[in-house]
Amino acid sequence: MSDQLCKINICDIDITDERYKISFSQDDITFLAQSIRLSGLTCPPVVRPVNNKYIIISGFNRVRAAVHNNETKTLVYKTKPEISDYQCLLKSITALAFKRPLTHAQLIISTRRLHQFLDKEQIAKKSSAIFSLKLNARFVGDLLNISSLPDPALELIHLGHLSFKSAKRIAFFEKEVIKNFLNIFSKIKASNNKQLEIILHIMEITARDAIKPEIFFKNQELQDILFDENKSPGIKTDDLRAWLFKRRFPTIFKTREMVQKKILSIKFGSKIKFSPSQNFEGQDYFISFTAKNYNEFAANVRNLNNALENKELKEILNQ
Amino acid sequence: MKIDTLFIEKAVPKNSEIDYLISMLKIDPQWIEDSKTVYDYINDAEDPISKAKKTLFITQNKGAVIRECPGTSFYTCCDYTILHTGTFCTMDCSYCILQAYFHPPVLQYFAGLEILGHNLEKIFRQKKIFRIGTGEYTDSLIWEKISPQPKFLVETFARQTNCLLELKTKTVNIDSLLSLDHNGKTVIAWSLNTLDIISSEEKGTASLKARLEAARLAESKGYRIAFHFDPVVIYPECEIEYKKVIKQIFKYVRPESIVWISIGSFRFMPKLKQIIEKRFKHSTICYGEFILGLDNKMRYFKPLRIKIYKHIISCIKEYAPNLAVYFCMEDEEVWEKCMGFFPKKEGELGHYLDKSAVAHCSLNSNFL
Repeated sequence: MSDQLCKINICDIDITDERYKISFSQDDITFLAQSIRLSGLTCPPVVRPVNNKYIIISGFNRVRAAVHNNETKTLVYKTKPEISDYQCLLKSITALAFKRPLTHAQLIISTRRLHQFLDKEQIAKKSSAIFSLKLNARFVGDLLNISSLPDPALELIHLGHLSFKSAKRIAFFEKEVIKNFLNIFSKIKASNNKQLEIILHIMEITARDAIKPEIFFKNQELQDILFDENKSPGIKTDDLRAWLFKRRFPTIFKTREMVQKKILSIKFGSKIKFSPSQNFEGQDYFISFTAKNYNEFAANVRNLNNALENKELKEILNQ
Repeated sequence: MKIDTLFIEKAVPKNSEIDYLISMLKIDPQWIEDSKTVYDYINDAEDPISKAKKTLFITQNKGAVIRECPGTSFYTCCDYTILHTGTFCTMDCSYCILQAYFHPPVLQYFAGLEILGHNLEKIFRQKKIFRIGTGEYTDSLIWEKISPQPKFLVETFARQTNCLLELKTKTVNIDSLLSLDHNGKTVIAWSLNTLDIISSEEKGTASLKARLEAARLAESKGYRIAFHFDPVVIYPECEIEYKKVIKQIFKYVRPESIVWISIGSFRFMPKLKQIIEKRFKHSTICYGEFILGLDNKMRYFKPLRIKIYKHIISCIKEYAPNLAVYFCMEDEEVWEKCMGFFPKKEGELGHYLDKSAVAHCSLNSNFL
């Protein structure tokens, strides 16, 4: 039943047929091509004969590397023509999964394709043999939900712009809302926690203010942040989070801003830190300073003494 | 919600209380060995909380019958005493902490009037004022129509002079209490809220008008009355709406009949948010400006709490300048800014309320 090792013409391989491909992107194959030139092909691709051509089951990059090296023939494992689609898919996934852990994007693509043949419980049951990883049915369900997200969701997951948890969260929203979130995440670069915070704030603002999310996404200030060509995705993330916080917590934002302004106007100097309790819930203010020597210590004390008569300091402490 | 399933623990003695409950519920009970059957039954449901609201478990209280209110750190507590008569509730308020407090929530009725009586006798013998309530882990009057317990408690408290019984409710279930000789020792208290909050967040409760009419009726039978604005919910123009409610209170009830009014803003354990979002899809109650409080509960940002409290207090004082108004779980800054004083010493707030209890309910002032 094993596949037959043979040499075939590269021109007989239909490299456009990617029905068994589970990797997301076109990786740069320059180094792989160099390696094959240097040490030969250590692990031949697997191909399936279909209508006088071959389609790739696994080894898309190795075939591309061969093309890159201007080779006319390549060594492959050829399957029997009568092999089923399901078997080919299993070969494709296992070939990668038993080499290294699949990425989230690869897991999502693989699960979506497997779902044509198996339900989520069956996928979960066979997961160790397919993915080299035990998956429970609930997680498989999450993968399937995420796989239903429109483009460019998978690309964003692959590039790290959309975390698995964020993708899972937005998968429950309406189509238009999902589209808008994908648009936002394609323009910023945020950690998982920050992504979840952005989703949470937008959904809570729209629910609280009874605004349809699709209307909220058209907000000019939001659009200006996202489409600012002069700012990096990281800076845009900071701007977006600040803007959302201001909308979500207007009173907290105003109070923080006001107190911050007053603290700055006191001019304690760079060595003294003065701050209110977190969220202004406690009643204690915190003050600390650093000093490398006596002179710095004395300078700090002088600054504190000068601040005693400061109107803003009194306002902050007696508000 | 209507009870559709009744479990009774086999160890509960079959007596007139149980017979009465069964006859009034008109459901065939399932007699069970222990609570596991009920827990499994509720946990197996898709929405255990909704299931629990329709499943009554009659059992015996295996813990402390009388206990101190747990309060919370960093915020001032009123030193209340809880009479533990049951758990959970048939009404369905979105903000109800009991949804997250019990795992899973079980609607328990603690049978055994003699157990209650026995435990209360010990308290009645003490030379100290107690404010005792049954509305901490359940609504005090949800079983009034089917149980002799509220009547028993009112009559038991009527025979002593150091304890006040507070029955806290969102129902209008007071019929069986009206003709009782309560001797002024029972306070019937209603949790109140604005019309918006009652209609959007308090599913299955009596309307504001019905609650106030019931308060008027109770007052006419000599009962002392209390009101609780808890949770105060902050939303646009809520100040105006809370003022309307306060105005209504004094249309229905004389200030002299009111023992106290408490105020507490909406606060919740963080895990309650998920429950509310899941069970009350249209509720926006969690989307206010909340911060994590010092007791690890979410609370409104303090300046917002102070603002709404000031409105409510000044409005109450307009109608009843001498009425005892207090905060449930607030800190020194809030007290000082809103009330102009802070019950700093341990037990000071409790003493302040005890004095009101003595004055309104003819308790023995020597115990103050």
